[in-house]
Amino acid sequence: METTAWDPEGVTTVLDHSGRLSDQSRPPQVDIRAYYKALVGARRIDARLGELGLPMWASCAGEEAPLVATALVARPEDWIYPGSRDTAIAIARGMDWDELARQVLGRHTGGGPALPGRVCADALHVAPTTGALGMHLPLAAGHAQALRIAGRKAVAFASFGEGLTTTGVFAETLALATANDVPLVLVCRSQQWPGQAPAEAGVVGDSVADRARAAGVWSRRVDGADPLVVYATLAAAAERARDGRGPALVEAVVTQLVHEPPPHRDPVERLRRHLESTGAWTSTFQDVLDAEAVAHFDRALAAQRGARA
Amino acid sequence: MSVLTSLSEMMAQLLREDRRRVVLGEDARDGGMLGLSRTCIADGTLRERVIATPLSPTTAVAHAAGLARGGARPILVFASPLGLLEGLAGLREAARLGWRTGQSAAVPLLMVTPSGPGFGLGEEAAEAIEATLARVPGLRVLCAGQPAEAAAWLHAAAQLDDDDAVPTVLVLPRRVLLADTDEALPDLGRACTSAARIRDGQAATVFAWGETVQVALDAVAHAQIDAAVVDVGCLAPLDAATLVAEAKATGKIVIAHAGPAAGGLGAELAALFADQAILHLDAPITRVTGADAPLSAALEAQAVPTVARVAEAIAHVANY
Repeated sequence: METTAWDPEGVTTVLDHSGRLSDQSRPPQVDIRAYYKALVGARRIDARLGELGLPMWASCAGEEAPLVATALVARPEDWIYPGSRDTAIAIARGMDWDELARQVLGRHTGGGPALPGRVCADALHVAPTTGALGMHLPLAAGHAQALRIAGRKAVAFASFGEGLTTTGVFAETLALATANDVPLVLVCRSQQWPGQAPAEAGVVGDSVADRARAAGVWSRRVDGADPLVVYATLAAAAERARDGRGPALVEAVVTQLVHEPPPHRDPVERLRRHLESTGAWTSTFQDVLDAEAVAHFDRALAAQRGARA
Repeated sequence: MSVLTSLSEMMAQLLREDRRRVVLGEDARDGGMLGLSRTCIADGTLRERVIATPLSPTTAVAHAAGLARGGARPILVFASPLGLLEGLAGLREAARLGWRTGQSAAVPLLMVTPSGPGFGLGEEAAEAIEATLARVPGLRVLCAGQPAEAAAWLHAAAQLDDDDAVPTVLVLPRRVLLADTDEALPDLGRACTSAARIRDGQAATVFAWGETVQVALDAVAHAQIDAAVVDVGCLAPLDAATLVAEAKATGKIVIAHAGPAAGGLGAELAALFADQAILHLDAPITRVTGADAPLSAALEAQAVPTVARVAEAIAHVANY
C-alpha cells in the first residue's frame, strides 16, 4: 500500500486504501450498511447546515467516522457530551428531525446549547454543547462518575478536536478521571494537515494518544478515515470503561475535506469502497441513501420556516 | 460549640439524610482545610462519599456539575473563594447547564466557600466575592449571617430536590466561621431564598448580609435608634418583594456590606429601591462598605464597615 504525505503515522487501520480488510483483521460487530448510511447522512446534512449561513458554524466533512461511531457504540443508558462541530452525533443517535431543524434554526425560545447550529437531545442522552472551550470534558467526567456511583454499568463519552488538548481543562480532566477511575471515553479527532499544522492545532508532530498514555490513561491512535477501526476501537474503549477499568482516550486522525485530500482519506468513500468490494454497494443503493438523508431534514426545515411565515 | 464544628456535623447529617450526596474538595479526604468534612471522614459509613479533587478549580466545578446531572448530589467545598474566581469558566457553565438542555433540567449542585476577612490573609479577603458570583446568570448565591444559623444555612442550601434545582453557592464569611455559638439552630425557620427582618424598628432600616449582619445589629444598639435590620441572605436572585416592602416600611435606608462599594451588591439594592420604592423614601439611600483597594493582611479588617460607621449612617438617615 503506497503511503503519501496525507497518510498519518503511527495509526492502526483495518481497511486499506481500497477498502479491503487487511490480512489479520476481523470486521467489528457492526451493521456496516447501517453505519455507512449514517455516515452518508452526516455528510449530506453537514452540507445542508453549511448552506444555512449559521454564525460561527464549521463543517465536519471528513471527520464523521468518530462522531457517528460514538453514537453507534453508545448504549441508550450512556451519555454523550459533544463538541461544537459534532451535530452529527445527535443525528446518528436518532434525533427527531423537526426538533433538529427547530434547534439549528435557533427557533427555541427557552434555553439551548451554545451557538446556533449546535443541538441538545437530552432525552437521547446527548448533552448540550458548552460555551467555554472544553468544559464538556469535566462535565462528562462528573456525569460518568455519577453513573458509576449509582452502580449503573454506563459510560460517558466526550468528543473534541486536538486543538482542545492545549487547554488546561484537558489536562485537568485526565488527572481527575484517572484519580477516580471514571468510566469516561474521550474521543479526540486529530486533524491531518497537508502542510505545517497551525499553532491552534496544538499538536505538531506528536500524538494526543501518547500524551494521554503519559498521563496514565489507556489510549489508542487510529486512522479516522477508516470507519471500521474507529468503531472497533471505540467499542473496546467503552467496554473496558463499562467494566470499571477506568477512562480511555481514542485519537482518530482525520482529514478535513476542505483541504481536498486524496479520496482514500475520506471515511465515507473508504467505507463505500469496502462495501463495493464485498458486493454490498450499488449505485442504486447510493441514490436511495443520498435522497433519504436529506429528505427528512429538508421537510423539517421547510416546516419550521413555514411555521414562522 | 464553634461554628466550624456545627458545620462539620451538619455535613455528616446531610450525607446521612440522602445517599446521593457526596462531598468533594481539595483535601476533603483529610477533613478539608476548613475541617468541614472531618465528621464525615470519621464515620466509616460516610467516608466513601468524600471525594478528593485535583488542584484545578475550573474542572472541579464542571465535574461536580456533571455529577449533579448524573443523579448525584455533590457538595463542593472550597478552602478559599479564589477557587471560585479561578473556576469562573466552569461556574458559568454549571450555572446555565440546566437551561442549555432547553427544559430547565435540574442541576442539584451545592458549592460552599469562605469569604472576607478573619484568617489574617489580606488580598482576596477584601474582595467580597458575592458581587462577582451574583452576576453569573442562573446561579443562586446565599450568604450566612448569624453564627447560630450557619449550620442551618448549610442544611437549607443543600435542599436541591426540585425538578428545576439550580447550582447554589453558600458563602460563609470567615468571621462567622471563627465565631462560637451557644446553640447551633438546626433549621433556618424560613426559606433560604428569602430576605428576613431580624430586628424590628421604625426609624430606619439597615440591609446587610454575611459578617455585616452582626455589625448592623451592634450599630443599632450603639446609635440608640429604633432601626430595623434585614438579613438579605439570598443575594441572587434577590428576594425583591420582601426587600422593597421592608424599604417602604421606614423609607430611611442604610445598606451595609463587606468589600468595595463600586460594583457591589449594595448598588443593586439601591437601584432596586430607587426603581420600586422611590415615593416611600425619606432620605438618601446610604451605603457603608469596606475599602475599595486591595488590603494587606494587617489591614484586612477594613474590608468590613465598622460599627461606628454604620451607626453614624443610621443616625444620618434617621435624622434626615
